[in-house]
Amino acid sequence: MKQNKEKDKIENGDREMRELVIARLKTLPSDIKLSVGSVGDFTRDELIEHVEKKDELGKKIIEVQMEYLRMLKEGFFYERNTVGHEA
Amino acid sequence: MSGTLLVTRPKHDDTTHYLFYWAQEIINLAKGKGIKVLDLDKERANKNEFESMVAKMRPSFIFLNGHGGKDRITGADNKTLVRTGENEKILKNKLVYALSCSSAKELGPASIKAGANAYLGYSDVFIFSYESNKLRDPLNDRTAELFLGPSNQLMISILKGHAAKESFERSQQCFLQNIQKLVMSESSDLSLIPYILWDKMHQVCLGNGEIVL
Repeated sequence: MKQNKEKDKIENGDREMRELVIARLKTLPSDIKLSVGSVGDFTRDELIEHVEKKDELGKKIIEVQMEYLRMLKEGFFYERNTVGHEA
Repeated sequence: MSGTLLVTRPKHDDTTHYLFYWAQEIINLAKGKGIKVLDLDKERANKNEFESMVAKMRPSFIFLNGHGGKDRITGADNKTLVRTGENEKILKNKLVYALSCSSAKELGPASIKAGANAYLGYSDVFIFSYESNKLRDPLNDRTAELFLGPSNQLMISILKGHAAKESFERSQQCFLQNIQKLVMSESSDLSLIPYILWDKMHQVCLGNGEIVL
């Protein structure tokens, strides 16, 4: 019973995340394409399909969007000279 | 300015088509500065030509455009040019910028271990957006410029004599300026910010950041 509730919670969380990402993808201009390396080039509607299908490309798009939202929450736009990684 | 720049730029799909034309700007700039440019374009971006050119002409700076993965960079028809555990030693004593997906994750560190001076690239997929109706005129695609402009900035900075780390920082700043420009605008391009930010956060500078061309 407890396990089922936990599973439902995770599934609901995943669904909400997908819905959020799809809502954000819908704001992309319709006349552009997104090049995602060797995976290919995709229109807005194709990206939405991949997110709905939960395939590898869909997961990558979700990762990009969630990373952005995380950085937004952490105050990225209030920081100056935000530099990436160095080694 | 002395030095030799080797550029690989295949052109077999929309992505490489864009990288091909945007790399032309860098080639023109380098030539204008008196730098010898070895241009392995289209089908010439293959492993045999690449290895032979590196061995014979000993370029100090290599600019790789194309697809890739964490352990490789590819050329024409997505055939491997450099791969970890196979021929990363070819990058020894070179300053390398790889405009491709993910190669800074494994190939970058492996090439530094094999003696490359510095390796600039991306530790995850490089994403860019372009306008479908600009395929015939990629250099006038203002959407693609949001991504490829900061990438070219890195090359421009190195060609102007700045060190690898400083050039990386200038490119980072350029990504940031493009994001800020979109934030201040009311354009629908605002929705591209997550992808510009993604590229910015996954751009890396490995090895000796003080190296200059």
